[in-house]
Amino acid sequence: MSERISKFEKFKMQNPVIQFFKFFFLNFRILNVVAKGHGGTRDKAYKDKR
Amino acid sequence: MSKIVILGAGIAGHTAASHLRRKLGKEHEVLVVSPNSNYQWVPSNIWVGVGRMKPKEVIFPLEPLYKKKGIGYKQAKAVSFHPEGDMQENTPYVIAEYVVGENKGKQEKIIYDYLINATGPRLAFDQTEGLNPGENNMYSVCTYGHAEHAAQGLKELEDKLKNSDKKLKILIGTGHPKATCQGAAFEYILNVENELRRKGLRDKTEITWISNEYDLGDFGMDGMLLSYKGLRMKSSEMVEMVFEDRGIKWILQAGVTKVEPGKVYYETLDGEDKVEEYDFGMLIPAFAGHPFKAYDKNGEDITPKLFRGFMIVDADYSEKPYEKWTVQDWPETYQNPDYPNIYAPGIAFAPPHSISRPRMSKNGTPIFPSPPRTGMPSGITAKLVADNIIDQIKGKKSNIHKGSLGNMGAACIASAGFGLTKGSAVSITTFPIVPDYEKYSKTGGRDIRKTFGEIGLAGHWVKYALHIGFLWKAKMKPFWWLIPE
Ligand SMILES: Cc1cc2nc3c(=O)[nH]c(=O)nc-3n(C[C@H](O)[C@H](O)[C@H](O)COP(=O)(O)OP(=O)(O)OC[C@H]3O[C@@H](n4cnc5c(N)ncnc54)[C@H](O)[C@@H]3O)c2cc1C
Repeated sequence: MSERISKFEKFKMQNPVIQFFKFFFLNFRILNVVAKGHGGTRDKAYKDKR
Repeated sequence: MSKIVILGAGIAGHTAASHLRRKLGKEHEVLVVSPNSNYQWVPSNIWVGVGRMKPKEVIFPLEPLYKKKGIGYKQAKAVSFHPEGDMQENTPYVIAEYVVGENKGKQEKIIYDYLINATGPRLAFDQTEGLNPGENNMYSVCTYGHAEHAAQGLKELEDKLKNSDKKLKILIGTGHPKATCQGAAFEYILNVENELRRKGLRDKTEITWISNEYDLGDFGMDGMLLSYKGLRMKSSEMVEMVFEDRGIKWILQAGVTKVEPGKVYYETLDGEDKVEEYDFGMLIPAFAGHPFKAYDKNGEDITPKLFRGFMIVDADYSEKPYEKWTVQDWPETYQNPDYPNIYAPGIAFAPPHSISRPRMSKNGTPIFPSPPRTGMPSGITAKLVADNIIDQIKGKKSNIHKGSLGNMGAACIASAGFGLTKGSAVSITTFPIVPDYEKYSKTGGRDIRKTFGEIGLAGHWVKYALHIGFLWKAKMKPFWWLIPE
């Protein structure tokens, strides 16, 4: 077992106060990815949009 | 008046049924045909599999809900498709067989105007010799029943560990050369590791990941480049970091072919035949299509018109090499090209090809992940199918709702342990699901602003919130439709 994640990082990953704020930020980021719509890929508009 | 028949009441079927019922007037009939009387929130099976949740927390009975909401329900399984009707009548129908009660075994003709095939995968344990949940100390978490059994197996292992000094081996991953759903196995291995560590038994175990992936973190999605703490990192590096940190070993490029008590046989891409010993195992089986048959009005077998394993939809199924694959190959409306009143959202549709690069072993065995279709796209594709059907019924332009996996994001909140303060998750989002190497040529086919990784307790809370939110939604409680798919 090698310590690939430092103790300090782990502390931050499990600290409820830090994670409380992360929770809202994470929800916001996830919603930004999944709730921003979806569509086809075959129309010209999709292909033109780079 | 239209009749919409939905086969299957999983994430896809149930989503379609609930949206159809909400948006269509009572003059239209919505009928669900599914053999399992319960709805299950599959993602939480991971927690059932380590004993942190009871099956009753991840399921609820469908019939009372459907009765209340005006959705018809038959506890039966579809057997054959007759999209042109038969010599007696032109109306299309399916044959379904009742699975319980006094009608058990009886077949019934169910006519429809629109058919949604949302029957998901057949868990093909039979494609790997000896891989049966509960036999040979090998378990599954694919259903709540399997997961409950896995929790018992884990408990027995823990008891053995407490009473002996012998180091025991745990093997978790994929149980077929072309298995998919690596994400579920990834969650399970991290949860098992977390449980053993919390119970002070971790040092007495050797935990190994076995998978048909070429690299760690492929997840059947060709891996991904993601942003993590401001850096760009490959999913393989992220998973390697987590595994090394937790002392989990890994075996990659392995196509499991056979399971015997305490032994897993596999072939590697190098063409070598190897054996791995284990005391407790959980391997995801192959996901296959159901053995459905289809007939035209003269009774001729037209199964290949509807199925190639899974159901044929508006994908480009022409054979071409990996280098020529594009996102445009992937379906947008999930409509069968020959019978436009049949749709197949969720896992039920036949993908045009895999997402991961296909690879053959030196002996010619294909060893690579099949494409995963997770819960979120299953819900999204089901809703867009329902919306297109509603538009047709209301006489609007058809098929304006589209959702290709090449233009859709997904979030994989992989649980890494359960608990209000001791929980953790590896959260990964990706956009799009199927990489568009042309559009996002510099960032591994994905939009790097929307493809990120995050590890920690907040991810566990998100996954738990999703458990509560999606069960609320599935139970069609007040304002359920405001929760996105
Ligand atoms: C352990 C595990 C964990 C997972 N975790 C996640 C996660 O965290 N996030 C995520 O996004 N995805 C996750 N997934 C994937 C997700 O569960 C699937 O993508 C999703 O369940 C697919 O939905 P579906 O409706 O297409 O198929 P299913 O959920 O398999 O539903 C199929 C339905 O069809 C019914 N049926 C079967 N045969 C017939 C027949 N002959 N006639 C009529 N009905 C039939 C079944 O009873 C069932 O009701 C996980 C999967 C597993 C196994």
